[in-house]
Amino acid sequence: MNSAQTLNVVVTAIEQVTPLIKHFTLAAVGGDPLPAFSGGSHIIVVMHTPARAHRNPYSLLGSPRCLDRYEIAVRRMEESRGGSHYLHDHIRVGSRLEIAHPVNLFGLDKIARKHLLIAGGVGITPILAQLEELQDGSTPFELHYAVRSPQHAAFAQRLRERAGASLRMYYDSENQKLDIDALLSGQPLGTHVYACGPAGLIDAVVATARNLGWPGSHIHWERFAAPPVGDAFEAYLARSQRSVRIPSDRSLLESIEAAGVEVPYLCRGGVCGYCRTRVLELDGELVHNDHFLSDAEKASAASIMPCVSRARCERLVLDL
Amino acid sequence: MMSAVKSKPSYLPLAADTGGRYHLLLGLAEGSACLLRVLQELQNFAPASWQRTQVLFASTRASAAAAEIKADPFEEIGFEGAVLFTDGAALLAHARTILERSLMGTRVYIAGPESFIGRALQLAAAFNLNKDEIRAEHIGTAARRVHCVHCRAGTEDVRTNIVRCSGCSRWLLVRDHYSHRLAAYMGVIVDAEAPGELPPIREIYS
Repeated sequence: MNSAQTLNVVVTAIEQVTPLIKHFTLAAVGGDPLPAFSGGSHIIVVMHTPARAHRNPYSLLGSPRCLDRYEIAVRRMEESRGGSHYLHDHIRVGSRLEIAHPVNLFGLDKIARKHLLIAGGVGITPILAQLEELQDGSTPFELHYAVRSPQHAAFAQRLRERAGASLRMYYDSENQKLDIDALLSGQPLGTHVYACGPAGLIDAVVATARNLGWPGSHIHWERFAAPPVGDAFEAYLARSQRSVRIPSDRSLLESIEAAGVEVPYLCRGGVCGYCRTRVLELDGELVHNDHFLSDAEKASAASIMPCVSRARCERLVLDL
Repeated sequence: MMSAVKSKPSYLPLAADTGGRYHLLLGLAEGSACLLRVLQELQNFAPASWQRTQVLFASTRASAAAAEIKADPFEEIGFEGAVLFTDGAALLAHARTILERSLMGTRVYIAGPESFIGRALQLAAAFNLNKDEIRAEHIGTAARRVHCVHCRAGTEDVRTNIVRCSGCSRWLLVRDHYSHRLAAYMGVIVDAEAPGELPPIREIYS
C-alpha cells in the first residue's frame, strides 16, 4: 500500500453515538461509488496534521451493499497518539480525508455451520458489517455484545434490527457478565467464533476456546494495536543506505515513511504480517508487539513488524 | 514410488490430539490397530479422556466368520462400548448421527483403506470440520475408488493400472490425480486414439 493507491473522501455526516464514540460517514469526492468490500474489512485513514502524518485503521461498519458511503466509528482514546483526537476535534462535515482501499483480515468463514460473534465496546464495528452478510438467514448466528452501560451501547438500534432475537447485550453497569466458558462449551460442530473488542475480552475468548479444544481455524479475532511508545533508537536501512532515528512516540514504520522510504502495509496494527521486514543486524533485542509472528519467530529475531514493534539496541539494520 | 501429482493424498501415522476435548474414532478392517494406538495414547495422557471418546469399527470382510465380526478388538485394552459394524457404509451412517449432535472441541480419527478415508473425510467436510480437527492413517489395501471423467460413474476396489468403467464400459487409465470432493482418483479413457489397443494391464494397487 502506498500513497498512489489512496482515495479522497469527504465527510458527509458526523454523529456522537456514545460519550466516547463518533460515527463518521464518508463519500468519494465527486460522488463515484466507493470500492467494494466484505463484512469485517477495514480502511486506513490518513491524517496530515501540522506535526506529522497519522495512518490509523478503522473497520467499515456499513452495509457492503451500499457503496455510496463508508461508515466508521472512532473511539476517543485516552492515551491517543493524536489520530483519534484529530478526528474527534478537527474533522467537520465537509472535511476531506485520504483513505486506503479496504482490506479484510476478519471475514466470515463462508462454509461455517454457525457464527458466534462476540464484541466489546467499539469492537462492534466490523461485526455490524458482518451482520449485513448474515441477513439472508442461511447460516445461524448469535451476537453477544458487552458494553459499560446502556449509554455506551453504540448502534444498539441498528443491532436490534439486524440481529433480532440472536442479539444478547451485557451491561457492566448492571453487573451482567458474559460467561465465555458456558457460551463456548455448548457450540455445535462447525461453529466459528469471532471476537473484537478490548484485549482482555479477546484474550479470554481465545484462551477459553483453545482450552475447550477449539482448533485455531475456527477462532477469529481482530485487535488493532496502537503502536506502543518505547525507547528511542536508530535503524539503518541497508538497501536505501540511510539512517533513521525513531523517537519514543513514533513507530518504526512511521519513522521509515517520514524518511521517504515506502514499506508495504495493510493493517498497521500488528495483525496482517504484510510489513514484515528482515533484520540483517542487531546488537540488542527486538520488542515484538505484534500478533502475527509465532513465539519461535519472535525469539529468532530474524524479522520484525515495524508497524507496532520496536528495538532496544545501539544498531538495527533492516533489509529495506 | 512418490507421485508427482500434488493431489495424491499422503497420510501420517495416527496420534492422539490431546488438545481435543471429545474424540471420535472411525476404523475399517486393519484400521483397528491404529485406533488401538490412539486409545492407548489418550489413556496415557488422561484416563478420563476415554469418557469423552467414541469408537466405531467395521471389520468388512464378507467371508469373516460371525465370531470374528462380533469380537471387539478394543476390549483387550479395557475400552468398552465400541460400536461394531459389518461394513463401512453403515458405520459412516451412524457417524453422521453422532456428528449431528457433537460439540466444538471434537477430533475425528480415521483409519483404514483409502476409499474409506475418502468417504469419511467427505462426511467430516459436511460438518465444516477443518484439517486441524481430522487425522487419517492409510492401512490395508491400496485398492482405489475411480471416478470416470467421461460418465462420472464410480468404480470401486480397483487394483489395476487400467480398469473397465462400471458405468460406460470405457477402458480407463487410473491416474494419481485425486479429488477430495469426490473422494476418488480420476479415470481417463486409455484407448481413445486406437480403440481396443491397450497397454499391459497390471495389478499395482493391492
